Amino acid sequence: MNDLEIVEIINTALARELELDPARLTPEASLFDDLELDSLDLVDMVIVLEQAFNFKIREEEEVRSIRTLGDIHQFVIRKKHHLEGNS
Amino acid sequence: MMLFEELLSKEARLEAFSRFHRRIVIIVMNATVFPLLIIWTAISILLFPFSWIIWITVNRWPTERIVRHFIWIYGRGWLIIMSPFVRFKKEKLDILKERAPAILIANHLSFFDIYCMALLPVYDIAFAIRSWPFRMFWYRPFMGLANYLDVEHQSWEKIIRSAKRIIERKGSLLFFPEGHRSRNGRLGRFYSGAFRLAADFGIPLIPLCIAGTNDLLPPHRWWLKPASIRLRALSPVDPREFSGSSGHMEMKKVVKRAMEETLLEMRRPAQ
Repeated sequence: MNDLEIVEIINTALARELELDPARLTPEASLFDDLELDSLDLVDMVIVLEQAFNFKIREEEEVRSIRTLGDIHQFVIRKKHHLEGNS
Repeated sequence: MMLFEELLSKEARLEAFSRFHRRIVIIVMNATVFPLLIIWTAISILLFPFSWIIWITVNRWPTERIVRHFIWIYGRGWLIIMSPFVRFKKEKLDILKERAPAILIANHLSFFDIYCMALLPVYDIAFAIRSWPFRMFWYRPFMGLANYLDVEHQSWEKIIRSAKRIIERKGSLLFFPEGHRSRNGRLGRFYSGAFRLAADFGIPLIPLCIAGTNDLLPPHRWWLKPASIRLRALSPVDPREFSGSSGHMEMKKVVKRAMEETLLEMRRPAQ
């Protein structure tokens, strides 16, 4: 799975599960100001990503520093590469 | 040909008269409803301390329950003030009598949606709303005493604590899961707080569909128009049917779909 495919999976899953407009899913979109997510949406977002990529991230400290959709893309890409490197 | 022109002109005259009549009704409505609402609000505020003393002496209810009942009566007064210009229709609302406590959710079209909740046959409901209604200083003390939740600024932990206390006392909670009034009449994105609470507390979630309040007073319009308002309760949803960490998200999708279908049917003109 390459980086573009990962981004595509993230955007599709978030658009479907959190009812976000795909046109607004740009890397610089702020989760709170632009996408109007609240703290519970972020918890849901973690669940969505865990289900989409079959990994556990809810305990990871880095999740708390995510502010934009681009941060999510980069975080998941790093996590996938890390897991693939370990396997 | 002459007869046809005569009929046409008669129809045009009737239409012009109908438009004129409608304008007069709108003027009369706005000239009476707003002042009456202000008077009714002032009377209610002045009456509250005396009513509270009588209530607490006679019934010994907790203050939050008394205030919620009082707010419900205030809402009933609003319905009476509106009734010469607005037709209210209650549909399948009796279901709420047997299902307390519950999490209620409603679609949001107008500032007056909250007032329409006085159509419900139950009064012990704490509203979970955004911050701006708390800025109305004449309502704020009552909202505080009734334990209304500020879902915009209160932390989720505080909301859970308040919700737990309300539910333990058999009170229900009402959310507008869209967070904002709809600008196009269609359902917007749902936030998941109400669904998560229903799942966490294992109590039924009852969707309410409201139609017509956007004719009465939509966002960005400041005058009222006569309207026909319908409020319908859908079948209660048991959160135990949606298991797992994403169960509340699945429940949200199912409920939203049911509400969309119901609202579509409610907006359709009667045959």
